[in-house]
Amino acid sequence: MARSTLTRRGLLGTTAAAGGLSVVNGPWRHNRVWAQASDKPIRIGLTSDASGQYANSGASDRRGMIMAIDEANAKGGVLGRRIEHIHLDTETTPATGSRVAERMITREECGFLVGAVSSGVANAISQVAQKYGVIYMNTNSSSPSESGENCHRVKFVWDGNGTNFAKAAVKNSIDRFGKSWLLLTNDYVWGHETAASTRALLAEYGGEVADEILVPQGTRDFSAALLSIQQANPDVVAAAVGGDDQKALRQQVAQLGMGSKPAWINNQQDWPDVYGLPLDNLFGVFGTTWYYKLDLPGVAEFVQRYQAAYPDTSMRVPGNVFYNGYMATRELLAAIERAGTTNNIAVIKQLEGLKMSAESRMQTYDAMIDPVTHQVQQTIYLATANPAPVDENDMFEILTESPPDAVRDTAADTACKLESYEDTPSFDA
Amino acid sequence: MITLSDLPAKGGSPLTWPMGIFLLGLATAPFWLGPIGLYQYLGIEIAIWILYAMGFNLLFGYMGLHSFGHGAYLGVGAYAFGLFQLHVATSLWGGLLAAVLAATLAGALVGLFLAHRRGIYFALLTIAFGQVFWFSAIKLHAVTGGEDGLLGIPRPPLELGFARIDLNDNAAFYWFVAALVALVVPLLWRLVNAPFGRVLQAIRQNELRARFVGYEVWRFKWATFTLSAATAGLAGGLFAMAQESAYPDVMSLHQSGLIVMMVLVGGGLVSFWGPVLGVILYFIARDVLGGLTETWLLWYGLMFVVMVMVRPEGLAGLVHVLRPGKGRAR
Amino acid sequence: MLNLVPHLVNGLTLGLLFALIALGFTLIVGVMEVINLAHGSLFALGAYFALSTIGGDWLAGTGLGAWWQGLPLWSRYVLALAIGPVLAGAAGMVLELCLRPAYGKAPLYGLLLTFGAALVIEELIHLGWGTGEQHLEVPQAINGAFLMGGLIFSKYKFFAAGFAILAILAVWLLLERTPYGAVIKAGAHDSEMVRALGYDLATLRLLVFGFGAALAGLAGVIMVPIWGLRPHVGIDVVIPAFLIIAIGGVGSFWGAVLAALLVGLAVGITGAYAPAWATMSMYILLILILGFRARGLLGRKSALES
Repeated sequence: MARSTLTRRGLLGTTAAAGGLSVVNGPWRHNRVWAQASDKPIRIGLTSDASGQYANSGASDRRGMIMAIDEANAKGGVLGRRIEHIHLDTETTPATGSRVAERMITREECGFLVGAVSSGVANAISQVAQKYGVIYMNTNSSSPSESGENCHRVKFVWDGNGTNFAKAAVKNSIDRFGKSWLLLTNDYVWGHETAASTRALLAEYGGEVADEILVPQGTRDFSAALLSIQQANPDVVAAAVGGDDQKALRQQVAQLGMGSKPAWINNQQDWPDVYGLPLDNLFGVFGTTWYYKLDLPGVAEFVQRYQAAYPDTSMRVPGNVFYNGYMATRELLAAIERAGTTNNIAVIKQLEGLKMSAESRMQTYDAMIDPVTHQVQQTIYLATANPAPVDENDMFEILTESPPDAVRDTAADTACKLESYEDTPSFDA
Repeated sequence: MITLSDLPAKGGSPLTWPMGIFLLGLATAPFWLGPIGLYQYLGIEIAIWILYAMGFNLLFGYMGLHSFGHGAYLGVGAYAFGLFQLHVATSLWGGLLAAVLAATLAGALVGLFLAHRRGIYFALLTIAFGQVFWFSAIKLHAVTGGEDGLLGIPRPPLELGFARIDLNDNAAFYWFVAALVALVVPLLWRLVNAPFGRVLQAIRQNELRARFVGYEVWRFKWATFTLSAATAGLAGGLFAMAQESAYPDVMSLHQSGLIVMMVLVGGGLVSFWGPVLGVILYFIARDVLGGLTETWLLWYGLMFVVMVMVRPEGLAGLVHVLRPGKGRAR
Repeated sequence: MLNLVPHLVNGLTLGLLFALIALGFTLIVGVMEVINLAHGSLFALGAYFALSTIGGDWLAGTGLGAWWQGLPLWSRYVLALAIGPVLAGAAGMVLELCLRPAYGKAPLYGLLLTFGAALVIEELIHLGWGTGEQHLEVPQAINGAFLMGGLIFSKYKFFAAGFAILAILAVWLLLERTPYGAVIKAGAHDSEMVRALGYDLATLRLLVFGFGAALAGLAGVIMVPIWGLRPHVGIDVVIPAFLIIAIGGVGSFWGAVLAALLVGLAVGITGAYAPAWATMSMYILLILILGFRARGLLGRKSALES
């Protein structure tokens, strides 16, 4: 990935070379545009994990961002300027996230940052980004606090969060499976926040919490919890277990054949975490923001573009993590174009309240960037393992699609206090 | 092989040549970091970790007590600084004092338990305590913010009576950190070259003999552990300022292991200056390799492997070989 | 009221698995006095080699591929159980060759080197097998669940625990009941004696390290059907291994086994009554035991103590 590793000096060299070349036969389709505004490229920092717990999701996220950037460059760039990207490994470690963000902004002169899976890393990056006023697209971190108490003027959150998924699942599942619920909760912030929304919804719709089992982060053996679940014998188990813990849990539930009785509600399943696994690993009902076989216009063509761009990737079809990375980057670039400037405040204003048609996002309902919380309010799908897959990629069966209003995280409105425009440093990237 | 105890005690003034070079480098860094392709924030992290590593090596290199859970005290310092700013008062000195005191207290308590332990059992217990601190930081999320971190920690201005300096700018904050490092490092130098330092080395070489000579060994162990925890706490407070947040990860076994690796790779076992070299190599190699290739961990790991195969004593060992007159075994 | 018995059974099974995880680590620490931080990476490596053995994708196109994949799963699995550890052992031997310059110097340098090696191995796994989650298939006979006292238990977990018992006994027999064992144990403490007996110390160390690495790989093959398989799966291995060796006492074989069972019971029982504290219980157990017994349960004096 030579292009993503430019140093400043190397960059000067390449742009100079590109400028010289474009006279004869430039590498870009619209040389004319380049000749006019060839001052400097727009630099975007990709802050995704390449090592640690989220290395795999980080890679998928990154592919989404890069495809959006390549497509924009193929159309002549943005504002007539070429877009360049740099990636640095955030290591699934918040402290590294801070350092990477500082380097991206102060040394690599990135005007925009894109990418996140882990909420700790996303928080670290967004603090630095806010300090410098650099717009940051949180692509894939789904902690409710991201658009709640940890929201920022420069940060936009593109994934559905734990509350959205709980709202999509709870009422439906009480009707279908029964009232007695057991919560299996990862004992950390994301787990507790997700469990809290599930509790609130159960109270609202007449379900009851039989018990809550807290499992520490880093749990690899769930046998004790699974025995306790059998002894408690609830109608539904609502699991808010994330990361590698979730992968171990899936495997162990599958082995016990406990995936159908009791009924399981798994908050969210990221595509890179499940791709290629046997279908019985996908037990219960879970949320997602997108699926590659949604019967909607543009989806099939999007999948083809993915396959053309990444012929060697083992993941043969795009998933939700790729989708979020792609959409966030594409909409960022479109917002810059609409703003007619790279001024950060102008671009932020373009993004706030932005309505995106269902067609353009390849989802069932229209979506909007919430001006109050900066979270994308979008369609949330509930899915389960596909009983009749057409091929090995076809792992999900989509059960329901909830419109954004039905799953809105209303608690975030009061929790989120965005910094004022005046308190956000302004600059032109 | 040379060890720290083979180095002649210098006594007297800490103003030696290496100290001069170190202070000069520290003082001028903001002027050359940019031109050589680095950036100001990296300088801040390096300076903070030098502080941490130097305090750590008092325990690790001089005393020979191998702590693998030292990140805990860095973390305690960072959280103490943050909680002080968020719940007590926005105050630079108050926060740093809280960081040092909290880490000292934590170190002193754990030290009481550890002071009677030796070798690998000492090391394994430090891991257990380190994990308990780390685990607590995640579990007590009402206080610490859990894995989301303790966010929005301010960088309070430096009040000097006659002037008020804003530290939000990275260059200004760097000078402040550098000033503290320039204060603490000569103090540590004095300490290891004073009788106290000789006792530490005597204990490392032969604990039994030191005991027979009449030293209450466990008190020295306890004091050193506490002192190095206090330094880690100061570094932690500064780290919280640098990041404007505190995260549990710095307390994890992996991160605690990193400081050990830095000290070893720099040659902390053979030289006072080893930790400085190790921290610089560690951060710069990581930053440069990380910018060059996605498989940077491969090259990074190979660097450690080759280092041990070619020059186990670390970078400082190399210096001693190049200047054989300076510290050969007597 | 919870029924305690299933949780006791579960705790013991867990303990046996912990013992299996720590076996290679304990051997290398006890005999060679090297703390092998690459233990977790070798664990992962063994599992990945087993994965490739069972899948046989790399044979595709050679004509052998179809034949291989046509063989019944159990025969491929049995072979994988051998090939995974052997290749991990070979990697361990390479590592031992790299370690040689550090012998006779502070034991910490071994730590530094194995730390570097762990990074290298994990990154090679990234390059060779990708970053994604993988699934290691196991034969139908040991897959699935069975009912006991009205509760569902995993067949595979009992197979794994039984396998752990076999591995423990085999290592014990090798160390205590064969002449090689005597030499191995002597090698750690008295290299002169080993030389005087006419054994080559260098070869001995190579073999012991390779054997320890193979045990790490074996633990990997056995554990990943429970934990799942990803490049960094090994980071979950080193901490339990450390704990077990500390509780059991450095250099004591049965100490480690006993420690593993205790840790398993502690985790299993807190997992039933106070699940949020299940992980913490391991560390508390360690602090309590070392608070009363400085060298762990059955530890003896070791060079690593000074």
